[in-house]
Amino acid sequence: MRKVEVSGLSAWFGSKQVLFDVNMVAEPGKVTAMIGPSGCGKSTLIRCLNRMHEEIRGARVEGKVLFDGTDIYGDDVDPVEVRHRIGMVFQRPNPFPTMSIFDNAVAGLKLNGRRPREELHDRAEQALSAAGLWEEVKDRLDEPGGRLSGGQQQRLCIARALAVEPEVLLMDEPASALDPASTLRIEELVADLKDRYTVVIVTHNMQQAARVSDWTLFLLYGEVIEFGPTTKMFTNPDEQRTEDYVTGRFG
Amino acid sequence: MTEVRTRFHEELDSLEEMLLLTGQLAGEAVENAVRALHDRDLVLAGAVVDGDDAIDANYLELERRALDTLALQTPVASDLRRLSAMIHVNLHLERIGDQAVNVAKLFLVTKDEPGSEGMRQQIAEMGGIVVDMVRTALDAFARRDLDLCLRLPTMDDPVDRLNRATHLEALKLADDRRSLDWGMHMNMAARALERVGDNAVDIAEQAGFLITGEFREFTDASHPVDVDQP
Repeated sequence: MRKVEVSGLSAWFGSKQVLFDVNMVAEPGKVTAMIGPSGCGKSTLIRCLNRMHEEIRGARVEGKVLFDGTDIYGDDVDPVEVRHRIGMVFQRPNPFPTMSIFDNAVAGLKLNGRRPREELHDRAEQALSAAGLWEEVKDRLDEPGGRLSGGQQQRLCIARALAVEPEVLLMDEPASALDPASTLRIEELVADLKDRYTVVIVTHNMQQAARVSDWTLFLLYGEVIEFGPTTKMFTNPDEQRTEDYVTGRFG
Repeated sequence: MTEVRTRFHEELDSLEEMLLLTGQLAGEAVENAVRALHDRDLVLAGAVVDGDDAIDANYLELERRALDTLALQTPVASDLRRLSAMIHVNLHLERIGDQAVNVAKLFLVTKDEPGSEGMRQQIAEMGGIVVDMVRTALDAFARRDLDLCLRLPTMDDPVDRLNRATHLEALKLADDRRSLDWGMHMNMAARALERVGDNAVDIAEQAGFLITGEFREFTDASHPVDVDQP
């Protein structure tokens, strides 16, 4: 079963092509990691999966990204609706700093229209629990989100993404700005989340990819060099360039 | 494209160099133990027993450094297979060293007993083959030569035959109690050499794993294994 299927995807910034004929799939209940050296196109690729790439001026995409079989780049598809169903968490925790923890958690929901306070509370609790933050913040929901630690802020952002009940969660280096303990918490959270969501994660930390993912995609200069089960990619990859990259023979 | 983990890869190279040196020492130990037994050379037998400390020291150091490397460098892909294979081979080499000591000691405790020249010849022949097996397996490891790895099971066949033959030879000594005692000890020496052959096959299996990325047993005590099958 394929939740997301990328087919012949190429991407540009102006005249500069940064992705070349990418093919990959992301399955429900699995974590798919994207690895590769800086500038290889992994962040661009993940941003193509929910039409974030096109938000940059001069950026464009060719090819298909099928979500449950429907091309999200189809003419009659609303990118905002796509981003509700395919949520995203970014590298730096970006809660609204003066907004309360509660309001941060349900910020996405509120944008979708007015809802009864009770419903918002239930959804906030569900999302904060799923993000592993509820127990730490349930007695201080009115405090500003900016008062939380970096790791907590990132989990708040994950809660915010989950509150709108997406089916796919895209994570662009979600732990790279966090301390080691917070990083491990995020990794554990990813393992918990995959039961309910299709997770795609970009990481520059190869060991993190090895720890959290079921499938790994290795990108180099905008091309997919190898896409396979994570255990195989880290024990006996098919491609010499994958071998050289994961063993640190180039970087 | 530049090498970015130079020190880590140099450590792996250094560990492999040490492993191959341990292998050389273990092979020489078996060779000398068998020669001591065959030539009834007490001094050489004593040297084999004393020499095991060097093999053990290498074994312990490689084990420690390999664990440190696993913990600190988190190797993957061929680096992981190389380290895993080295840890296994290291243990086999330590066992081979111990078997050499066993052979030397079995000779020393029976040095005053009457024996059979035929059985000494059988043991010498076994010794020659298993030493060749150990060297071939280590050569296959060092050269990453899969064809050479796959030769090991065939090399092991005459060892098993000779091991069974020494048992029959020992039975011929049953009429004389002291000769029989010697024969039973020599039967144990043959068994020790047979184990060295098995260790050599296991080393070749590890080399095969390192090369192909897939672990396969070349021999299995409970089931026949066809090594030519993919």
